[in-house]
Amino acid sequence: MTTFSQAKGKKTLLSRIGVSATVASLILFVFLPSFFLISFTFTRWPEVYTEVFANPLIGNTNWIEIQKYLGLSLRLALSAVVIDLIFGIPLAYILARKKFWGKGFLEDLISFTLVIPTSGFGFATLIAWTSATGIGALLTGGTVQIDTVIPFLNVPFLMLIIHIALTFPYIVKTLKAKLEDMSTLFEQASGTLGATPLTTFRKILVPLTLPAIFSGTVLAFARSLGETGATLVVSGIFTTAPIAVISWVSQFKFGSAAFLGSLLIIVASAIILPVEFILKKKGVTSFSFFSTLHIQKTLQKFEDFASRKLKRVKDIVVVIFLIIVVIVPIVYVISNVALYWNSDPDTGNVKESVMYQLFGPSNYFSALMDATLVSFASAAIATFVAACIAMPTVFLIMRSRFGSILRALLRVPLIVPTSALGLSILLLWGPGGMRLANPGIWLIILTHIVFSVPVVVEPMLATFEGSDIPLYEEASVTLGANAYNTIESISLPLLKRGILTGVILSFTRSLGETGATFLVMGSDVTIPPLVVNMVESLAIPAALFASTYLIALAFILLMVFRKVTTR
Amino acid sequence: MPEVKLKDVVKTYDKGRITAVDHVNLTVHDKEYLTLLGPSGCGKTTTLRMIAGLQLPDEGVITIGEREVSNLPPEYRDIGYVFQEYALFPHMDVWNNVTYGPRVKGWTEKKSNKIGREMLELVRLFERTDAVPAELSGGMRQRVALARALASGSKLLLLDEPLGALDARIRTDLRYEIRKLVKDLGLTAIHVTHDQAEAMAISDRIAVMRKGKILQVGTPQELYLSPQHIFVANFVGESNFLEGYVVDRAGHKLTVELRGGISVKSVNEDHQKGEKVVVGVRPEVLSIAKGEHTGLNSISGNIEGFRFEGNNVRYEIRLQNDDMVVVVHPALMGEWLKVGEKVTVAFPVEKSFVFSYPEKGLRTELALE
Repeated sequence: MTTFSQAKGKKTLLSRIGVSATVASLILFVFLPSFFLISFTFTRWPEVYTEVFANPLIGNTNWIEIQKYLGLSLRLALSAVVIDLIFGIPLAYILARKKFWGKGFLEDLISFTLVIPTSGFGFATLIAWTSATGIGALLTGGTVQIDTVIPFLNVPFLMLIIHIALTFPYIVKTLKAKLEDMSTLFEQASGTLGATPLTTFRKILVPLTLPAIFSGTVLAFARSLGETGATLVVSGIFTTAPIAVISWVSQFKFGSAAFLGSLLIIVASAIILPVEFILKKKGVTSFSFFSTLHIQKTLQKFEDFASRKLKRVKDIVVVIFLIIVVIVPIVYVISNVALYWNSDPDTGNVKESVMYQLFGPSNYFSALMDATLVSFASAAIATFVAACIAMPTVFLIMRSRFGSILRALLRVPLIVPTSALGLSILLLWGPGGMRLANPGIWLIILTHIVFSVPVVVEPMLATFEGSDIPLYEEASVTLGANAYNTIESISLPLLKRGILTGVILSFTRSLGETGATFLVMGSDVTIPPLVVNMVESLAIPAALFASTYLIALAFILLMVFRKVTTR
Repeated sequence: MPEVKLKDVVKTYDKGRITAVDHVNLTVHDKEYLTLLGPSGCGKTTTLRMIAGLQLPDEGVITIGEREVSNLPPEYRDIGYVFQEYALFPHMDVWNNVTYGPRVKGWTEKKSNKIGREMLELVRLFERTDAVPAELSGGMRQRVALARALASGSKLLLLDEPLGALDARIRTDLRYEIRKLVKDLGLTAIHVTHDQAEAMAISDRIAVMRKGKILQVGTPQELYLSPQHIFVANFVGESNFLEGYVVDRAGHKLTVELRGGISVKSVNEDHQKGEKVVVGVRPEVLSIAKGEHTGLNSISGNIEGFRFEGNNVRYEIRLQNDDMVVVVHPALMGEWLKVGEKVTVAFPVEKSFVFSYPEKGLRTELALE
């Protein structure tokens, strides 16, 4: 029988080893890659400076381009987020508070764009808007083309549409979760005091959910800033900052790429982290913006009118929005696969058919299957490693004094644009750095681990905080269970849902990742870059098929996700 | 076997700025049912958690049986602990909750099953073994929590407000059930509560705590009949307090002059002539008669309030010196008096208590927080 002091000695030694291992793997796999790019830019500053600001041939052209690309990325993210808010807030409200037929379908649609590898969805949007029989032709008479720019905002139309489609679920999901958590008591009280639903919404719901709206907005903004897969497909002649990083790396202009990547990391952190910090510290309690404008009365009258007469308008507008940005591209791309199956329906050209491109000389089908293998293998390994790191990390965050710092640091890989991350990994572990691996599947895995760890950690933390795990652990030890027993039979089973959610989210994200993968994949092409390559080499029927393939994949993932997350 | 001893136990929070438990000394005898009673924040739960090992003391020694356990983790202490919120594992059914202790302790399956069955039969929940905690009522959950704590085979049962989350009627039923169980099984039990009626009904002895200190330990009768501290006199049962000065002392008989020159007699050995004191009288000890009467410890006054409370009636009386007293009588004994009537209240010499006037004032000393 072990005496207590022996047991205690063993325990502290074991827990020390565990903590050190966790911290070491976090630093090695997550934090080092996230911050390496910035330190690289600093340590190689003379080279970077020459390339960006004082190139002997082109002077500071690169710096001017950097400003241009960053400007476009920021304008794009900002416009997308504003439109997200306009449609996302009512959508979240409807989903959280109303019961209606087809609600489950609507929720699936919203999750869909989170799950689908973005390049596939980007292609669907591109085709749906620009082809002669698509929605663009229907709504605007064919004026929407790949290079159409929205005046005033100076943002490419298609890019904006795709960014909205890919980012609005973040706002809807965060706000909806918050609203569902909140009791309807306040709304009822407001109603009994004579406020119309719209006034209640403005004066009660918005102030109470402002933190959720903000954090959803932050997520959407970060996603838009880093989006690469779909953006590449619809980019045409335009270049956003993440795309510039990729194209500069392919031209071996590492200095400019590293500098722009660092700027992206800094800009994202500077915009996002302060907002999060303020929300955490203070919360947002008052929302007196409207009252200071002295338009209270007018506003109330409008709300009164709108609540009575325009009740349905909001619902209809929101549904139309969903149809345009999500459903139409999906349906259009699937129907076109059928049309192009044997031959081009307009010209009858067999070489422009899906079958020919898949199984003909270009053999895109086998390329697609190879890519699927690489994608699944790298996503599975990255997710597995990430889950192994994430589980002890969650306990560390909840237990240790430095938990909150650790948690804040883990936000960084989530907001860092992935192309910057990919570059960072390439320079750190790749042939030019520590020579750990050449571009290929192992470097892909190392890259995906970086963002997979926080992706797995977040839902686990949410589950942890939503349950009384510390209480159950206390109960377990009073019944004579040791720490190992307690974690195995109490803590982990209670965290199961969080772990599963995190694993699926991480797998999905890994599967769809484009920006970083482009830089580190070498010849091990994953599916999303393959779709981009198809589009760039104008193999449209093959891209149609690949896009449909990804849509089907997304639906399968969605079903799995749904099965896990619903009780 | 398990006698629990606490010697000079101290626990502080917030880097020593808040003292939750302040030099507590306590011995809980084998097979005794002891209750830690006190208002919220008095340190009673912290004391219990230190006995269980869920928190460790800053100073002092805790022993269970022959063994010093002061810094021993809970899993090595061999205790049964019932949480206020029950803490039934939500992902396990009743059976797995109850047999969790035996299983993690590595007992044979036969032995685990046997004790699980016994305990579930004991709390009369054997037919609900497949239910998960969410499907059970509050009282059932409480009983499962009890069975789970008992199934670990411990002879020491620690109960943290075990009845706190239940409806009033179920509370009173369950408290007798718990006591019977503890007595039948020959356990030592330490029970934490803020409910003095519960403490009186269930305990062999009660330790009254306030601001991290134990004020008095005694049987329910001792606490009620001879409280050693003015707070105990007020918290265990109810008391009227009359302020005055000792004007005469003969042996252990005191004469106290109250405000307004009224003099009353009481019994106490500690107080000297000239000392400022408080005379405590329980509302149910005061007799009440219509009109003005003279006699030993008789004070006249006016009825200002009357409440019918079901089994009792309660009078609020303003005495001639403007002090207020409360008198409680069984509702069905004697006739009821009306508000505004002139009455005389009286109390027997030996059924009053005398305390020194508290340094910080009466109100502060009686305050619950």
